[in-house]
Amino acid sequence: MNAIDPTLTGKNAVKLISGNHACALGAIAAGCRFFAGYPITPSSEIAERLARSLPEVDGVFVQMEDEIASIAAVIGASMGGVKAMTATSGPGFSLKQENIGYAAGAEIPCVIVNVMRGGPSTGMPTRPSQADIMQARWGSHGDYPIIVLTPASVSEIYSETIRAFDLAEQCRTPVVLLYDQVIAQLSETVALDGAGHASATRKWASGPRADYKPYDGGSDAIPAMAKPGDGYRTHTTGLTHGEDGFPTQNPEAVTRNLSRLFSKLERHRDLIDSSEALHCDDADVVIVAIGISARAATRAVEQCRAQGARVGLFRPITFWPFPEMQLRQATANARAVLVPEMNTGQLRLVVERVLAGMPVEGIHLFSGEAIAPSDIAARATALARGA
Amino acid sequence: MNTRIELRLGGTGGQGLILSAKILADALAAGGQRVAQSQTYEPTSRGGYCNADLVISDTEVDFPITTALDHLVLLDRLAIKPSWPLLKPGALVIADTRLCPELPVGDYRRYHLPLSRTALQLGSERVTNIVALGALVALSGICDRKRIEQAVRAETPRGFLDLNMDALKAGYSVAAAPVAAVAS
Repeated sequence: MNAIDPTLTGKNAVKLISGNHACALGAIAAGCRFFAGYPITPSSEIAERLARSLPEVDGVFVQMEDEIASIAAVIGASMGGVKAMTATSGPGFSLKQENIGYAAGAEIPCVIVNVMRGGPSTGMPTRPSQADIMQARWGSHGDYPIIVLTPASVSEIYSETIRAFDLAEQCRTPVVLLYDQVIAQLSETVALDGAGHASATRKWASGPRADYKPYDGGSDAIPAMAKPGDGYRTHTTGLTHGEDGFPTQNPEAVTRNLSRLFSKLERHRDLIDSSEALHCDDADVVIVAIGISARAATRAVEQCRAQGARVGLFRPITFWPFPEMQLRQATANARAVLVPEMNTGQLRLVVERVLAGMPVEGIHLFSGEAIAPSDIAARATALARGA
Repeated sequence: MNTRIELRLGGTGGQGLILSAKILADALAAGGQRVAQSQTYEPTSRGGYCNADLVISDTEVDFPITTALDHLVLLDRLAIKPSWPLLKPGALVIADTRLCPELPVGDYRRYHLPLSRTALQLGSERVTNIVALGALVALSGICDRKRIEQAVRAETPRGFLDLNMDALKAGYSVAAAPVAAVAS
């Protein structure tokens, strides 16, 4: 089918598409014109779709020899001025980590999709998991900030893919789009109204060439990038660097640059933060969940409310940096928090830290199955009644 | 609660269960219904337990995975064990006589039909999934026949169009045969 099929993105058109298909459509709509990847279940449909649709919009699709080369090619394409993406899962995400750190440190915009399957190692290729939450944040060595988005539906995968490109370009950072196998391969009827079409552009070097410094953060901590061919002298390295882009281990320069790197995302939290609170205002118990577990929790909240239990749901859409303030607000009147997740306790750990002193309980399922709404509802109702 | 209908096509990898589910989902979506279609499969390309599920609703589907099946199609005995606990009382169960010869007793509407044999008679066991789709549409009434025929046409390569349309119609006929229904 056509990459930018008007019946798919036309206003109010309802179509049946999968999460991975929505990701590919979102990438094209966001202006992505380069994809390099290596197929791996359950992310392969993204590559398959883009292999067909990128050439139709004069974009480039490359199937690389492996995952490491894929992210390297994406970084190179982005430095060349093109919006670029790769997609992978589990073991492939592990392989990409060193270069994700490079992209974070050298401030190269790019989007990395990781469809979560069961792990560790090769794990369960065709079964869902939510166990890469921490890896997405801390997977590469050293200290670095990164943005991670966690959509929960097919239509949200579309809009969050577009937002991933916007944030990558605006903040000069890698952005990870993180979702589980269930919603990746789930087909849903969605209306893609195209309202979210990419608007953000990268800050390119301008003004006198002699004054240009490739890592001078300016007033907003985001350095302007030298566009190839524009004649600005630039240097990019994985080594720690000063404002001029050249390697340095000078303690002041290293501290200054890394501090700016962290302040860059903190200063743009208004752009980055995104979360959803459902019936949290009067909730005795707030459920915190992402992805397919949030979908189960949505149903559980309805079931609890039908039985008179005051239960709400808080759902981070931007997961990293974590929406701490929003979670505190959503749980302001709560007596307990319930965290259903398909891992052994990664989200619960974050929630416990943010809500120190609040009783936090987890439902942890790592069998390769999604958590059932009735299991969440039963525990949330019991917690709401003080059990 | 809004209306929510759940169904499963259960069998093994390579039987075309996901394709049949997608065709049905397309047909229902074209009729204005909200659909979520999910699946479970094994890393092998053929064989191993596989199911393709649909959740159908008049409004947006909150939880897209099946939890209580209204309709179940069984194209292999492997699918009985994982599906049986999800079966609603009085659910419609369509099972292939050859691939799924024995069924547990229980409170359900049982249709033990020669789906794969019908496909073989048409010339290819590969269209068992479409025969099953025809039988499911005929017995459940969840989808308008014209729409399912349009969806099958849209999803079928030209060389297989006649075979698939014959298979769909054979599915209707098999379901309508008076010997088909056996009270459980």
